[in-house]
Amino acid sequence: MKLKLSLEVLGLLCLAALIAVMPRLVSSFTAYEMATVGMYFIALLGLSILTGYSGQISLGHGAFMAIGGYTTAVLSVNGVYGHHIRDLWTIPIAGVVAGAAGLLVGIPALRLSGLYLALITFGIAVSFRQIPLKFDHFLGGTSGKVLSLLTTPFGLPTTPNNWIYYLTWGIAFVLLVIAWLFVRGKPGRTLKAIRDSEIAAASSGISLARYKTLAFAMSAFYAGVAGSLYAIARGFMNPDVFPIVLSVYLVAALALGGVDSFVGLIVGASAIYVLVNRTADVTRWIDHLPGVNLNPQRPGMPDVIFGAVLILVLIVLPTGVGGALRRLFGPLTTRLYSKS
Amino acid sequence: MVRALLLCVLAAAVLVAAAGARPLATPGVTSTEIKIGSSVPLSGEAAIAGNVARGIDAYFKYVNAKGGVLGRKLKFVYLDDGYDPGRAVNNTIRLVQQEQVFAMFSSLGTSNNLAVRKLLNDAKVPQLYVSSGATTFGRDYKKYPWTIGYIPPYSEEGAVYGQYVVKKIKKPKIAVLYQDDDYGRDLYAGLRRGLGKKASAIVAKVAYDPTSADVQPQVTQLKASKANVFMIFAFGKFSLQAFNAVSRLGWKPQIFVNDVSSASALMAIVPQNAANGSISIVFGKDPAAPAWRRDKGIRLFQSILKQYGTDVGSRDLQDGYYTAGMATAYTLVDTLKKAGKNLTREGVMRAATHLAEKNNPFVLPGIVIRTTPTSRFPLTQVKLQRWSARSWHPFGKLVSVKPR
Repeated sequence: MKLKLSLEVLGLLCLAALIAVMPRLVSSFTAYEMATVGMYFIALLGLSILTGYSGQISLGHGAFMAIGGYTTAVLSVNGVYGHHIRDLWTIPIAGVVAGAAGLLVGIPALRLSGLYLALITFGIAVSFRQIPLKFDHFLGGTSGKVLSLLTTPFGLPTTPNNWIYYLTWGIAFVLLVIAWLFVRGKPGRTLKAIRDSEIAAASSGISLARYKTLAFAMSAFYAGVAGSLYAIARGFMNPDVFPIVLSVYLVAALALGGVDSFVGLIVGASAIYVLVNRTADVTRWIDHLPGVNLNPQRPGMPDVIFGAVLILVLIVLPTGVGGALRRLFGPLTTRLYSKS
Repeated sequence: MVRALLLCVLAAAVLVAAAGARPLATPGVTSTEIKIGSSVPLSGEAAIAGNVARGIDAYFKYVNAKGGVLGRKLKFVYLDDGYDPGRAVNNTIRLVQQEQVFAMFSSLGTSNNLAVRKLLNDAKVPQLYVSSGATTFGRDYKKYPWTIGYIPPYSEEGAVYGQYVVKKIKKPKIAVLYQDDDYGRDLYAGLRRGLGKKASAIVAKVAYDPTSADVQPQVTQLKASKANVFMIFAFGKFSLQAFNAVSRLGWKPQIFVNDVSSASALMAIVPQNAANGSISIVFGKDPAAPAWRRDKGIRLFQSILKQYGTDVGSRDLQDGYYTAGMATAYTLVDTLKKAGKNLTREGVMRAATHLAEKNNPFVLPGIVIRTTPTSRFPLTQVKLQRWSARSWHPFGKLVSVKPR
């Protein structure tokens, strides 16, 4: 068991090193793109705790990201009693506000499970956009809120693109370690027990209410932080910035990465980024295949490609990338563990 | 002879060296190419408006085939944003930083352009002829000198309908359906201004939410006001539903429908008993309107689209979005020519704010696309048009929609 722990710590250290050197290897815009991947990764980490460990399905995490984004927008643009808060400091506040919203949703969610919970949370994703429209003087309505430009603070010797990259992945790394510590100890075991059988868990003295709402609040906190970073990077907030379909993408990416594999989630996060922003490029690659003739600029073509790629991946990798990795390296690592 | 040849070679070598030694001052411009970027919806609900970019692309290819702009070919890179401002920001950063475009041009949507305005102005990249009628893009040039709009402002469009009602309709009682956002409110505020003292003639107004499913309940409510004039300030499917509801309810008001929701393709599929007699404004030539069937500009449009468009069907040849794209593309080419051979970003902004374009073949005859450094609304003239026999018919003189 000790070996497994040291392997995991080694993996984390490798990841940290990779994050640190990456901007030196890629172009400035690619660093900016990778920052966005990091934001999706943070949101997926939270969703993984909720779905992968506690077994609750949420189709509404786009809304929690939007709550985070709006918190940052309001605090930095409107300010509090005229004091504009620097966007950097709004990130934890955004997480807490979204987490509180998650807690509120988590309480009624106790009475629901599976499909019903998915439907309720999807309802939240669909109806959330009405709030900024209703309070448009405060939240900007459809015209939105323009945040300050993405700049490097404190005179740090780096470009804005690298700054948002380091900021995002720095936060992502800390949140990854927290999530890892959380699930590898007692809370993780408890959540897994709830996921596998609520009745059995309750009869062993586990407080279902406490752990299920905790998982909900924690995952909403992660989503809020991700949304806040996204709003800072884009410098703009309106209801279309976090479209309804994003909530669905997040769940799809979770399935793609593997519901309880934190490393697989990086692949899932990259997939969201590529399919949202780079479908035309994907179409162009497919177009190069022999016998295929697609026009990436044809109306609706990006939508079709997105759906096709998603279906294909889920057929080829039913347990997600994480599951595939485990199957690939599983025999090797189990032998290592058994020797120790 | 040999000496002369040697001299020539030497001179050529010096010229090449001089050209090579000069630092590449302006991104996106080489001696043979000008790179232009745009972010438009090619997927999602607003995908149909992406035809504006396809029209631009076809026109640029036509210009390139004829030798380009002062010897440089135009390269147009347009990316899909699915009408999501977050993606529009990502696209714009990619186009400016990675693709190194010379300027952003004709990106579509009010919020999508608002989202990137600060960014482009900070980087001193021209944000040319944005596809939005929000007044701010032409008005706030002191704060955002690198931005300029194109189409007539929505508020002025509303005013035109108001003035027409005052002049032509006896004892008007007006009902207004408008989208509950800045776009709809701009039109409504313009209408009130156009009506002036007669603003009290508005007997009912109902706003609908842009995410709602159907506007029939709102139309029913408006009909109960017994109004004889009905303003539809809507978008896409909502204006279609409004016409359907009017027909179903047997209401017979004089309908006004705003420019954005009055595409011929849409008007042709709503119940004609409701659509007939409707009034809207127009500034571009509509390829589906019989008035322009033999027009030189529309014939040019169709031949360009057939030759240089990709995946063009017969329906596209009747699609006003393509013509709108070509109209802006024509103005951009004019602007680039005016900016001269030594092309800089400052130079193109100077040219864009000193336009006097009289011969754009894709807008109504007589319209002059004019700008000055303090008046940045290129299109400030429109005509009214009336729907009958399944097509739009322009009538009357050109009306000014220049903001005061």
